[in-house]
Amino acid sequence: MGRYARLESALELGRLMERHYAEALDRRHLRPVAWVNAGAPVELLRAMDVLAVYPENYAAMCGVRGALWLCEVAEGAGYSRDLCSYARISLGASLSGPSAPYEGLGRPDLLICCNNSCGTIVKWFEALGRLFEAPLFVIDTPYVHDGLPGHAAAYVAAQLQELIHWLERVAARRLHPGALEEALRLSREVTLLWREIRSYCRTRPSPLNAPDLFTHMAPIVVLRGTAEAVAYYRRLRDEVRQRAQRGVGAIPNERYRLLWDNIAIWSHLSRFYYLFAAHGACFVTDTYTGAWDAVPEEGDPIESLARVYTTIYLNRSLRFRLGQMEQLMQDYACDGFVMHNNRSCKAFSLGQPSARRRLADATGAPGLLLEADMCDTRAYAEGQVRARVEAFLETLAGRAG
Amino acid sequence: MSAYLGIDIGSRVVKVVLVGAHGRVLARAVAPAGIDGPAIAAELTARVCAEAGVGPREVGYTVATGYGRVRFCEADAEVSEITCHARGARHLVPGARTVIDIGGQDSKVIALDEQGRVADFCMNDRCAAGTGRFLEVTAEALGLSVEGLAAEHALARQPVTISSTCTVFAESEVISHLARGTPRPEIVAGLHHAIASRLLGMAGRVGLTPVVVCTGGVAQNAGVIAALEAIGKVAITVPPDAQLAGALGAALIAAARAAERR
Repeated sequence: MGRYARLESALELGRLMERHYAEALDRRHLRPVAWVNAGAPVELLRAMDVLAVYPENYAAMCGVRGALWLCEVAEGAGYSRDLCSYARISLGASLSGPSAPYEGLGRPDLLICCNNSCGTIVKWFEALGRLFEAPLFVIDTPYVHDGLPGHAAAYVAAQLQELIHWLERVAARRLHPGALEEALRLSREVTLLWREIRSYCRTRPSPLNAPDLFTHMAPIVVLRGTAEAVAYYRRLRDEVRQRAQRGVGAIPNERYRLLWDNIAIWSHLSRFYYLFAAHGACFVTDTYTGAWDAVPEEGDPIESLARVYTTIYLNRSLRFRLGQMEQLMQDYACDGFVMHNNRSCKAFSLGQPSARRRLADATGAPGLLLEADMCDTRAYAEGQVRARVEAFLETLAGRAG
Repeated sequence: MSAYLGIDIGSRVVKVVLVGAHGRVLARAVAPAGIDGPAIAAELTARVCAEAGVGPREVGYTVATGYGRVRFCEADAEVSEITCHARGARHLVPGARTVIDIGGQDSKVIALDEQGRVADFCMNDRCAAGTGRFLEVTAEALGLSVEGLAAEHALARQPVTISSTCTVFAESEVISHLARGTPRPEIVAGLHHAIASRLLGMAGRVGLTPVVVCTGGVAQNAGVIAALEAIGKVAITVPPDAQLAGALGAALIAAARAAERR
């Protein structure tokens, strides 16, 4: 068994994230701290000099270290076990203060969330608002069935205007002329770099495997619209491009190319994906890190933000998502796919059983539906997972003949 | 003489099959897994070899399957129970396109393509509903043995509805039915209907193409088969030695791998 090839950029990634979280905790700077969700229009906050901090990303990092105890703290406080594990980890960590991993996430001055990812996020942020006595701004994005109707885009744009006024009032910030355009330009650049990096995985062997994508997606979420993120992804792009040009694969002996659907299993990031890598199966593309692939258009910045944040992957119909998966399977020459039926994420997991059938029918490739959770280890049964994964890989081998 | 061994270390029962040339079964053995499945597997292996008059060195290849396979170190290869059950069922019923395997703690539905390869599969997740364990627990609540369930079912006029397929909740439902004076056969038939609907729900994910074969220990329960046929509106074939299908499949794969190795 060959060794798993580590990316050199990983070291820089660690430093970058450390700096970011140190800034969140350091209250000597005078910028207000806003806790936001991954689907919030962060470019506006960059332009108004508000520090954006992501409880979802923090929860994922805790999940990698093992965060069951934080879930249990939240459950002890009355939050249901059926609730999203990011929400439980975030609430559990907020209740635990500095004894939480990485000395906790500090406290927010403001809370901003957008319901484009799910409905849970709103309730979760409301709970944080009560806990920290911080004001909350909610952006409501209508669900996109087919195209985005003009009235829906206008409705969201009006809320973004209101958010600017809210930040002026609540946080005494000004929107500097040209600053929003600059933040959007950086966002556009970083998104294009991320798209380019992912696209190198079309090469055989793929220079990246899903765990690489999951780890290196952090800056595109938490530092989108900043120059540091652009610098980081340029460096990563060069490294991945070089791997692709030199024929260096992420895993030794790539035999099967797979698509991954849903959020990563953070609690078993190396152990779970190793089950596949050990048999030469590499996840060359996925719907999760691809959700940050949408490039904001040029033109009016508020309209562009409204459009890009309303049409994110999770806010779109199953039909749209199926089409995307089918296209990805074709573009990346996938032999099969694995759908993580994530107990936490209802928005991502709803409809998966029928999507699995349809995608298998459309592509002729086998698909595995696996029940687990992104962070709650009680929903992950080692023996059962292993039995399913091995049977699936044997099915792939049987087809390869 | 060449012989090949298939060992299926299930969660409840260990099955061992020894085959000779052309997949002819030379000997078979079954025993409860207890707390040390691999040790039972070693005992059964010695027993089948002795019965067939095959020396330990004459076993050309051994394949282990089932949950206990990871801890069993004496096999040449491990193969998942999906692949083994598919292979065994197809050997027992050559036209098989769907295999419903009902084991001790897990049940699965496997779709086979025309060549008999696994096309798709579905397993129950993290829940004992629709498994042999479900029947064991509820039979106990009824004061019956698992073996006695089918005979009891045959006496039922109208099955009661067991609304929960959760093993624990179903057990309390059984107890309240008994307290209400519901005849025992009707409760048993209700349980069989509950397990059958659960299995057919899974089958819906992969399709139910005839010929449908049922394997695993629970396949010996005629009541469950009757319920599956009634609700699924499909004929079900239960081969003799249904419980041994996984071990047989493992032995056949062992024979094929030995042939490849030569």
